[in-house]
Parts: sequence; C-alpha cells; structure tokens
Amino acid sequence: MILEPTILQDSTAVSTAYDSVWAGQSVPTQAPTGIESVMLAHDKLFVVLSVALIIWFGLMFVTLRTDRHLEKVERSLESNISDTD
Amino acid sequence: MSTPPTINLTRYRLIRNGVFVWLTLVVLGAFSFGGYLLNIPKINILEHTARNLYFHVPMWFTMMAATGVSAYHSFRVLQTGDYVRDIRARAAAMMAVVFGLLGLLTGIVWARFTWYVSADIWWNFDPKQSMAAVQVLIYGAYFVLRSGIEDTRKQARIAAVYNLFAFVTVPFLLYVLPRQLESLHPGADGNPAFSDITHPVMRLVFYPAIIGFIGLFWVLYTQRVRLALLQRRVDHDDDLL
Repeated sequence: MILEPTILQDSTAVSTAYDSVWAGQSVPTQAPTGIESVMLAHDKLFVVLSVALIIWFGLMFVTLRTDRHLEKVERSLESNISDTD
Repeated sequence: MSTPPTINLTRYRLIRNGVFVWLTLVVLGAFSFGGYLLNIPKINILEHTARNLYFHVPMWFTMMAATGVSAYHSFRVLQTGDYVRDIRARAAAMMAVVFGLLGLLTGIVWARFTWYVSADIWWNFDPKQSMAAVQVLIYGAYFVLRSGIEDTRKQARIAAVYNLFAFVTVPFLLYVLPRQLESLHPGADGNPAFSDITHPVMRLVFYPAIIGFIGLFWVLYTQRVRLALLQRRVDHDDDLL
C-alpha cells in the first residue's frame, strides 16, 4: 500500500524550503496520536475521503434547500390562483 | 379548470433520500482499503487512481441514461404534442450535457496523471475522448436549436426531431467508432475490454455507483422539471392549462 516516494527522495540534492520536510527525512518523529493516527494512515487517503464527503454532503444540502424553495413557490402560486378564481 | 401538471412529491422524496444514502455508501466504499473492506489490486501506472472507475465511468452510463430518457420524451412529444413531454425531454437533455461535461473533465484529469504522466499533456485526441466531446457538442446544439425558434409548439416539435437524431449517434460515438480506432481506453483496438481487466472486488462498488449516479440524475432531472412547470405557470398565468 505504501508507495515509494522515489522522485521526492531524489529531490534532496536540489532541496528547497518547501520540500525540506518530505524529501526523504523521517520527520515528524513522534507517532501520530488522536485524529492524526487515523488521518495520516494509508498515505493520508482518509484526508481525501473527508474532502469527498464534505463536497457530497454540501451537494446534498443544496439539493434539499432547492427542493424546499420549490415547495414554497409552488404553495404560494397555489394560494394566488385560488385567490383570483 | 383542470389541475396543473405536477410531479409525485411523495415518490420524489422517497427516491431522493434513498439516492443520498446510497451514494454516501458508494463514496465510503470507493475509499475503503487496507484490509478493512475492499482492497483493490495494485496496477502499475494506475495505482490508487483505479478508484476513478467508481466516479468517471458512471458519468457516461448516467449520460447515456439521460439521453435515453430525453429521447423517449421527445418521441412522446411527436406522438401527443404534450408540452409536459417537451419540458421533460429538455430537462433530461440538460442533465445529459452536465454529466457528459463531468465525464470529460474527470477523464482529462485522470489521463493527465496516468496515460500522459511525465509527458505533460492534458489532451491528446484519444478517439474516445474526442468522440465524447463531439457527443456533448451535439447535445449542446439541441439547446442552440431551441433558442432559435420563437413559436413554442414548433420549438417542441423540431427540437424533438433533432433530439431523436442526437440519440441515434450516442452508441456510434461512444462505442462503435472508438473501438475501431487506436485508443488507450479499455475495449478499443486490441485493448482488453472492461470485463477482462476489472477485478470482481471493484465491481462491488462500481455497479452500485452506476445505479447511484443514475438515481442522482433522476433527482436533479425531476427538480428541473418542477422548476420548468412552475416557470410555465408563472409565464402563462395558467390560461393554457
């Protein structure tokens, strides 16, 4: 499951500020605790899962909001028509 | 006065909530791995991106379902002249374009980091990609055609005829032609087909994903039908109903 970050290790020779953490160094040294022990496992795939779920829950929320809005307009149109009849 | 046409709201809410739960489980299944549930086989170049199978491919199945629904209602327009059929055909064609665009975009991103990795290209006129783009354009033209006709009855009938033509091109552009040409997609010119290379464990998520996304299409399509029916009642002040 762990993919060898070969390209990143090679970049130690041309190391810059932004890749100094990941380029082959074994930091952070202490074992992750709490939520990090879950989120950092399996190449941090759970972070991507969280992002996908946030997007999906957001889309569901918007769909429900639109439904409620449609219902409101339908109701008001209904009462308008019965008024004019 | 007869009651204005509407949709079955009880059925709509039931299916919508079912689709929401179903697709949430699909997303969880798509990311499950590492001995918990579904450990997907490791394939060179693809690696974890093989999981895109659960999202990219159902976009095309959903688009095809949407074009089918649209064509059916266009056929009914020509049969009955019912404007509700035209509203349904139009809403389904709109969702076909949406899912087609999502399929194209996800395919571009997937290809960039697998087929074209280290080649630094996003688009290389893979026949299946090109034909899919043409397909989306054909459906885009449906809306251009509609907007060019003033009379609503004429608009409904001409758009219906065009829509039936557009539907006939779907299997040719998405299946027949790409398989005759050199494509990197599965099933094309000498490549193994989907059924030969997809591990059974991935089908446990893939097939439910197709059902879930077609369900999502139905929810969004029904929403647009409701909106169009409301719009029509506002525009015509109910005098035509």
